[in-house]
Amino acid sequence: MQTETSLAPLPDVGGPAQPLLTVRGLTKHFPLKTGFLGRGAGVVRAVDDLNFEVLKGETLGIVGESGCGKSTTSRLIMALMAPTSGEVVFDGRTVGSREMPLKEYRRQVQMVFQDSYASLNPRLTIEESIAFAPQVHGLSRGDSRARARDLLAAVGLNPDQFARRYPHELSGGQRQRINIARALALRPRLVLLDEPVSALDKSVEAQVLNLLQDLKGQFGLTYVFISHDLNVVQYMSDRVLVMYLGRVAEVGPVEAIYAGAAHPYTAALLASRPSMDPDLRRTEPPLVGDPPNPINPPAGCRFHTRCNFAEPVCSTVVPPLHAAPGGQQAACLMVVPGSGHSRAPRIAA
Amino acid sequence: MTEPLVRVRDLEVRFVTRDATVHAVNGVSFDLAERESLCILGESGSGKSVTLRALMGLNPPRRTKLSGAVRVGGHNIIAASERRMADIRGSTVSMIFQEPMTALDPVFTIGRQIAETVMRHEGLSRAAADARALELLELVQIPSAKRRLAAYPHELSGGLRQRAMIAIALSCRPKLLLADEPTTALDATVQIQILLLLRRLQQEMGMGVIFVTHDLGVAGEIADRVAVMYAGKFIEEGPVRGLMRGPLHPYAQGLLGATVHSGMRGERLTTIPGAPPNLERVPKGCAFAPRCAFVEEACLPEVPAFRGPVPGHAARCVRVPQAA
Repeated sequence: MQTETSLAPLPDVGGPAQPLLTVRGLTKHFPLKTGFLGRGAGVVRAVDDLNFEVLKGETLGIVGESGCGKSTTSRLIMALMAPTSGEVVFDGRTVGSREMPLKEYRRQVQMVFQDSYASLNPRLTIEESIAFAPQVHGLSRGDSRARARDLLAAVGLNPDQFARRYPHELSGGQRQRINIARALALRPRLVLLDEPVSALDKSVEAQVLNLLQDLKGQFGLTYVFISHDLNVVQYMSDRVLVMYLGRVAEVGPVEAIYAGAAHPYTAALLASRPSMDPDLRRTEPPLVGDPPNPINPPAGCRFHTRCNFAEPVCSTVVPPLHAAPGGQQAACLMVVPGSGHSRAPRIAA
Repeated sequence: MTEPLVRVRDLEVRFVTRDATVHAVNGVSFDLAERESLCILGESGSGKSVTLRALMGLNPPRRTKLSGAVRVGGHNIIAASERRMADIRGSTVSMIFQEPMTALDPVFTIGRQIAETVMRHEGLSRAAADARALELLELVQIPSAKRRLAAYPHELSGGLRQRAMIAIALSCRPKLLLADEPTTALDATVQIQILLLLRRLQQEMGMGVIFVTHDLGVAGEIADRVAVMYAGKFIEEGPVRGLMRGPLHPYAQGLLGATVHSGMRGERLTTIPGAPPNLERVPKGCAFAPRCAFVEEACLPEVPAFRGPVPGHAARCVRVPQAA
């Protein structure tokens, strides 16, 4: 097949209404080694029964604090680790099945990591790093190099100046551009960006964010953008997924969530941002304490131990994702009619 | 007392190695009054942490060349011997760091580390020092403080570790607290707790605080005054309101414009082209000139002096109007 050798952009199979990525019941438990004297062996419930979709052409932002499972989620989507249960469906075809074998899938989905230095091979020149994957996928040496140089230009680095350099000769911002170029080398349709600007200085961060927006239009990409920075997620995303201790707390359009969070955790997260106005300084922290340990997450709603609205029912019932007034979905008993929480809406007669 | 808590004049810090000399700080001068909080804002390599360390004599002694004057609480820091510095540290000036896991000693309990500091500086007995340690953990709002005294650093969460480090830093009631990006490694909901705790402790204990950060939002929450640093120099200094609402220097303007905040969706972010200069050579003239959109002849021959339209707010830029 001609497309195999030229590595042309990949065709859209399921049509625009088919979500590009569907995650169904995705769960990852890491077993712990047996504890002292054989007691206390447990599992870290890093990701528990995650369900969401990424639509074609959108940017889905994933936010949450450390230990909420956002990086595990990205690694599960990339098939870098096997899930305990659940499946990932790409453009209607289950990843790892005969329709969508891993090698084919990895051409379609690429990733950019936070640590720009650790994710580049220090012994390869920039050009070799970018040309590596196309060569693995059957493109000739010359064609791969030509593609690498085109991509260098696309990410704003002069190919004549940078192609023969090594990663240690570049600044953090330049290295992150290389990682982006490498991720695009196979003409993927979905790019996972795992904290791509967290290690960069503010002025460089802005350059890289602008670049990501440009490339998205230029190459017709879909992004999953993972970050702990709520302002950056708001800037980049069309829809936002908020995670807490391995579960979805809230998911929906960025405007709806930032205008009026339905889940108390999202509200607290948004209220924790520094105000940027010295006259409107925060006076009370929205939450106390740190996120609990995901080894033994609280029963019922995992947020109930830190929630200001928690009632006894919250510690026994796991809240399902339910439509909230703003158009988003939230996993909180306060939006589920008849849930038994005193603030829940009444069931219409 | 007429002398301010901190007085720094023409501070220069160079790191000399066999291969190169790095001019990390190139003439920094400022005062800090008692109970005042100053935020030094800058990007990596701007010299903000080196400046902070110079106030406590923490830069590696053999490779560091210091010049200028640094006085903290009446002590001459530059001329002080290492033995004298050991007395000044803790009781006069104290510091908290970004990464509490590396700043705390992993083989001693939290309670032991606090007690050790108090015994060394105030000559208290072991029992009195232990009692003080408990008080301090309660002061920094560590829940079940009594039990936490016996905990090792790895047994605590990131937020609790940072609180424990603050407790150690405050154990001898310093007049000046230095904080080097103390909330950068923390989650959002924990960061705001630590910022509010530091603000409250500063007011209650009447300390001066110098806070180094790259995060404008952090500066907005905690600072009275802000100094923006670039290539080893303060390029703008002013009250937090004035600086955040109307930055004078093109670099400060660029930095504010490049910071993503709420409600910028759909807009293109302003960026600063290029990269900061290599500090192996001291830049001639304005160090920002190669990246500046408004560069002119007058920027190049020498470093622009501070100019300001209102008292207390000034920038090193020839385009800034000078009040009569």
